[in-house]
Amino acid sequence: MDQLIWPAWPLPLGALLPVAVALVLTALAGEAGRRIGLPRVSGYALAGIVLGPLALGWFDTNDLASYRLVVDFTIALILFELGIRLDLRWLVTNRWVVAASAGEMALTFVLTYGALSLVGTGTDVALAVAAIAVGTSPVILTHVTDELRAAGPTTDRLLALCALNVAVSLILLKLLVGVLHSVHAGWQLALLHPLYLLLGPLLAGALIAAAYLGLRRLVDPNSEQGLAALIALLLAAIALLSALRLPTLLAPLIAGAFIKWYDPRPHLWPQQIGTVGGVLVIVTFMLSGAAVSAGELFAGAGVGLLAVLVRALAKLGGAMAFGPVSGLDLRKSLALGVGLMPLSILALLQAEDVRLLYPEFGDRLLPIVVAMVVVLGLLGPIATRRALVRVREHRRGDQS
Amino acid sequence: MSLETFASSRALSLGVELEMQLVSTHDYDLAASAEDLLRVMARKDVPGDVKPEMTCSMIEVSTGICNDYAQVAEELEALRAALTAAARKLNIGICGGGTHAFQDWSERRIFDKPRFHYLSDLYGYLAKQFTVFGQHVHIGCPGPDAALYLLHGMSRYIPHLIALSASSPYVQGKDTGFESARLNSVFAFPLSGRAPFVESWSEFEAYFAKMSDTGVVQSMKDFYWDIRPKPEYGTIEVRVMDTPLTVSRAAAIAAYIQAIARYLMIERPIRLSEDDYLVYTFNRFQACRFGFAGAYVHPETHEQRSVADEIEASFARIEQHAIELGCDEVLGELLKQVRERRNDTAWLRERHGAGMSLPELVMDQCARWMGGGAM
Repeated sequence: MDQLIWPAWPLPLGALLPVAVALVLTALAGEAGRRIGLPRVSGYALAGIVLGPLALGWFDTNDLASYRLVVDFTIALILFELGIRLDLRWLVTNRWVVAASAGEMALTFVLTYGALSLVGTGTDVALAVAAIAVGTSPVILTHVTDELRAAGPTTDRLLALCALNVAVSLILLKLLVGVLHSVHAGWQLALLHPLYLLLGPLLAGALIAAAYLGLRRLVDPNSEQGLAALIALLLAAIALLSALRLPTLLAPLIAGAFIKWYDPRPHLWPQQIGTVGGVLVIVTFMLSGAAVSAGELFAGAGVGLLAVLVRALAKLGGAMAFGPVSGLDLRKSLALGVGLMPLSILALLQAEDVRLLYPEFGDRLLPIVVAMVVVLGLLGPIATRRALVRVREHRRGDQS
Repeated sequence: MSLETFASSRALSLGVELEMQLVSTHDYDLAASAEDLLRVMARKDVPGDVKPEMTCSMIEVSTGICNDYAQVAEELEALRAALTAAARKLNIGICGGGTHAFQDWSERRIFDKPRFHYLSDLYGYLAKQFTVFGQHVHIGCPGPDAALYLLHGMSRYIPHLIALSASSPYVQGKDTGFESARLNSVFAFPLSGRAPFVESWSEFEAYFAKMSDTGVVQSMKDFYWDIRPKPEYGTIEVRVMDTPLTVSRAAAIAAYIQAIARYLMIERPIRLSEDDYLVYTFNRFQACRFGFAGAYVHPETHEQRSVADEIEASFARIEQHAIELGCDEVLGELLKQVRERRNDTAWLRERHGAGMSLPELVMDQCARWMGGGAM
């Protein structure tokens, strides 16, 4: 009798079934969060941690590496949308917004670096953590603002500052790591590498923007074809940028901002991309706990918590110091600072990338970042949501 | 609570209020930014006033007491320039139009002020659904009885003013087919409509006392009439207009009202009668629905003609007064537009009809108001 027509026992289900179950569990955790009045992303982040090595162990860092493209693509999509919301005309008109952003970032960098140096993490780790701490999670911020359909001056600034934070954090970390590992042997390289890191994404961003605007003339961005074209464009960009050893995620952000600059018409996010993006965000969070193991979490807990605390003080201080001159009142400036708290998978990826290049250095860096992301990935979305509701910029949710 | 005494005001002095839309420059939906705009404006030295309105995505700007069209136009222009600068700083779009084309009323939130919360508790969803934007014009009256004569006389010109100012064809993302759909939101209020037909202030006081005794109203503010007396200013307030898409049109409409008022006050051409109001709601509906093409039934002769013809005839009657008031030139421009059947609703429909999406249309509305172009 031919054995091949009957199933073997135990059933050889492979990796697909656990992924399916994990996906639905993550989605349900988000729904559970919503029912008790929390942002969905907090539920997703919690599910990710539970599914990772810390508790269930369904995913580990190898999975993160094999699904890396999905995660990169998700973040690229979100940064592209965030870029389209970044109105450069406004930043030119109201330079205080840029000043507020620069002040808040400088404060975060200096204070985080100072605090970590004081507790003796070593200069290299302190610098790298400080560069990552400058960032803010674009995935969480866009998800929470979309969930609330938030709109208003605080929301505008929150998203603009988030975009600038992401850009600066990505460049800063690449530069610092390069400097620390004396990649820049000789002054020519020391000069050329930063230039390459800055101009590369700018050029790539301009190319993506031009391609998008060209495609927009051929296909309606709201149609299936438009969606496919946009996805293809971002995938091509990721492929090209990784080959060029440039930060893959920066170019989509820059492309978005260029598009809004060139064509200020409302670029409304097609419904279908919203749906696709929503599912991808769940997948991303499902994997976000893969790098969180008990050993790392406890190794980094002390310094990580210190970094969280200092970063919180710096972001709040920066927002409150520069918010009022840019036209926000003190209450909304406070909300802005609180809203900038989330730190999530992008920070993990930044640290993970460092580890891939410099394993020894990465092993000292990652635990701290993991601890920060656990705290700020779970509590950050709650902070952002409460801040936006507090200043009454939500259009959905409890109405008063 | 009794009615306050009718303050004295300079006859034919003018004041204009405009309710403006505040939108996000990302999706061009209404956004809650009134508080921030008001804070920035409070530091500026501008004529008139900028105040909050019922929901957080609207503000009301008003001129001071003006003498004539030129002064109204100048003050509105100064307000527009100051608001535009503040809005650019805050990344807000400001536009005219009687309704926002695609906002969802359930997403609105009530401005944090006791009176607005009281109204919201009383009227429920009507309060949020009242996120509509009108132009109000005050006309100074020499005395209370003259004010009532002017009020009843002016009510014959309500259809004219609706057709000239109409700028609200879209509600909740759809073309309503109306030239001014905004007024449909106003009619939902129990105390909307017209003032009672009384010709002397003592009768009006008696009416107010009776209404006040019923507990239904506490002050004149509780009446949402098309035209209402405003005793504390010594004016009548004409409230049927949509906020036009430009301040220049708003100023021109105010000039038209002032010229009609002068004609009514000086010539006293009408013998008032309660029967005037038999055709009132019909005429008003026709103007809201069809604009210039609506039917206008003359209250005395019962003769029917189009609102556009009726407006043209009215320009002939008030011409001398317009010259006296120095607004004949701008009324000439307005008349030219009437002949071409152009109003802001036509401007909006042209664009959306040619395939422009509603968010893009709102963006163009912002560019038009903030840019301060011609009407």
